[in-house]
Amino acid sequence: MKTFTPPPIRPGIQPRSSMGYRIDHGVRSSVPFLFVFFATLVLSAPLNLPGQVELMPAIIMATIFLWSVFAPVLMPSLAVFVLGIWADILSFGPAGVMLLMMLIVHGVALSGRYTLARVNFFILWLVFGVVMVGVTALQWVLCCALALHIVEFLPFVFETVLAFGSFPVLYAGFVWTYRFVVNNADGA
Amino acid sequence: MPVSIQFRQALGKLVLPALILVACGVILLGKADRGLIEKLRMNTADLLAPAYGLVAWPQEKLRWVSGNLQDIRNLEAENIRLRTENASLRHWYDVAAALADENATLKANLHWIPDNAPTFVSGRVVRDTSGLYARAVLLALNPDTAVRKGGIALDGAGLVGRVTEVGRRSARVLLITDSSSRLPVTLESSHAAAIMAGDNSALPRIIFYPQDNVPIEGERVVTNGEIESLPAGLPVGHVHYLRPGQPVVVPAADLDHVDMLRVFDYEDSVVPPDAPGRVPLPAGGGAMPLPAHPDQGLHG
Repeated sequence: MKTFTPPPIRPGIQPRSSMGYRIDHGVRSSVPFLFVFFATLVLSAPLNLPGQVELMPAIIMATIFLWSVFAPVLMPSLAVFVLGIWADILSFGPAGVMLLMMLIVHGVALSGRYTLARVNFFILWLVFGVVMVGVTALQWVLCCALALHIVEFLPFVFETVLAFGSFPVLYAGFVWTYRFVVNNADGA
Repeated sequence: MPVSIQFRQALGKLVLPALILVACGVILLGKADRGLIEKLRMNTADLLAPAYGLVAWPQEKLRWVSGNLQDIRNLEAENIRLRTENASLRHWYDVAAALADENATLKANLHWIPDNAPTFVSGRVVRDTSGLYARAVLLALNPDTAVRKGGIALDGAGLVGRVTEVGRRSARVLLITDSSSRLPVTLESSHAAAIMAGDNSALPRIIFYPQDNVPIEGERVVTNGEIESLPAGLPVGHVHYLRPGQPVVVPAADLDHVDMLRVFDYEDSVVPPDAPGRVPLPAGGGAMPLPAHPDQGLHG
């Protein structure tokens, strides 16, 4: 006697789960991780750009913030951790400080994402600025504590301002990547 | 293993706090075991050193070309300047030759012990690892060269810094402008000893100079042989007053664009003898080993 098998719930709509599709999907969803990874690598090279040292944390923080707010699936905590270790190895500051900053930015973005994903761009920008000020202040305090003397404050201010200023550019890049690379809106 | 959705959600919420705790652990680990982190970083830098070299090469070529073009433009002015400078240098050459002769005679009369000729290796700077809190450069080295921690790095004009970490293919040089750099120096005209302290700006400060013998604007600053591995008399720069009461050193070395460095090994230059009168001697031992042949003493 034949057993009765129920029909599929949504008949007909099935993703092509071929090898090519899976590779394509995997590469698309690892774009945020790879971007931060290579941005860190390139900015640690001797390019002699003005403000290169301060640009690295700025780009990393803004990218992690945006992806954690809008697509935390593509920027999970573990990925942030790995990227933090990577950034720490490539910079010669006190170990672990960069890692902690990145995790805090990620955590703040993650916990406020239901609000932050809906607000106006300018408010998002402002929130990012406030987060950056807090995180950089923490970095300064930790650097002072670990070096056992007061380190100069101005570079940290510069770092914050640079992060704040580069946020719109990174936001535009993020929107484009999210729409056309990760979600493939113009494709099939 | 099937787990309930609630359990999985709870687990998911725990990941971030756990990772933040691990990050704090990394900070403590970095403070407790410096060597481990440094080793990891130097190994990574070793791996990336060829790639960094590849990036630095076109920049250097470009700078060379643009420098050449500028030279061509200023050819005539440069020629005139060089002619006058050559005339004055010829005069100084005569003076120096006479002084060298006199010096040789005096040294011969005084049984002067010559200094050891220091060994050195040259390397290309592949990366500026200066951060918010450090001024340092990374030097690419041949794996066979014996560069040691504490080596002295000089460029063509003066002191650049000291080697702080050594990897297999690279070494890290802490510049004299770094905020943790403290070097004993001598001010050449006023003969005062002082400490040159970096503060992450381009001009390291002069501190602990005698109050009755203040540094003179423009006088030369040289190293003084107070610490081992750093001999006396290496050129450092000259004194400049940013404002009254705040003397700084203008480094002779071009610290903004260091591309080639020589690392000298002065490790066994001058070792102070033991003081047997003050230190208890070990039983049957020679705390102060005397040379077997007196004439092979210091430099043999």
